[in-house]
Amino acid sequence: MPSENISVIKVRDLLLVTVPPDPDDETVSALQEKVLEAMARYECRGLVLDISTVQTLDSFFARTVAETVQMVGLMGGRTVLSGMRASVAVTATQLGLTLGNALTALDMDRAFELLKPVRGQRQTV
Amino acid sequence: MKLTDQGEFLIKSESDIVMARKVVREAATALGFGITDVTRIVTAASEMTRNIYQYAGSGSMHWRTVSKGSVPGLELTFEDHGPGIPDLNKAMEPGFSTGKGLGMGLPGAKRLMDEMTIQSEPGKGTTVGLRKWLKK
Repeated sequence: MPSENISVIKVRDLLLVTVPPDPDDETVSALQEKVLEAMARYECRGLVLDISTVQTLDSFFARTVAETVQMVGLMGGRTVLSGMRASVAVTATQLGLTLGNALTALDMDRAFELLKPVRGQRQTV
Repeated sequence: MKLTDQGEFLIKSESDIVMARKVVREAATALGFGITDVTRIVTAASEMTRNIYQYAGSGSMHWRTVSKGSVPGLELTFEDHGPGIPDLNKAMEPGFSTGKGLGMGLPGAKRLMDEMTIQSEPGKGTTVGLRKWLKK
């Protein structure tokens, strides 16, 4: 059931995941699994994690996202966290959460912009 | 919302963490907290509820509206009969955890709320009280 709440969409050579507003721990864990599976299957360059509807980002969620960012990085991909709400940013900072090496973007357009390949330049993770 | 409003919620499974968040979100929103404070309160409740589920297996959350003079507030009390916290000072240090967590729960919840009380006795259980006042 939890993994059915998450759909990983392949857009060209990127993965797009929209995180549901109030995911339980199982759903968050399922997200990590599905992302890594899709990274391998589609040979993607990066991941956009849309968290624009997420209302609560607690320490379990943050840890799993930070881990996922690191794992995707090891597989050669870059991750952009897109659309964090102001209230969530304030709360996550006060709680003391960090999200690893994720790039961040205000919205989806900017997220895809960040992951655009640069001509004649090698991508670094 | 009347000042006598209160409720109790039992924590028995992992999915109750999400349910507890819903209960707290509704109570805090009804009391008139803004979106950022609601998010702070809900996130603190999520950390405390997960602590209960992970360390004690089960427990309860009691919420009620309180007041300090004319200032209303929300009080959340988390109670379990789990193993207790052996060293409270250590448990309040950011990054310290005896489990597999980040060690952010207790110190983080304290920063997100206005007041925090902890009573814990090894072998008997833990009670955590959190309060947030509605600033005008």
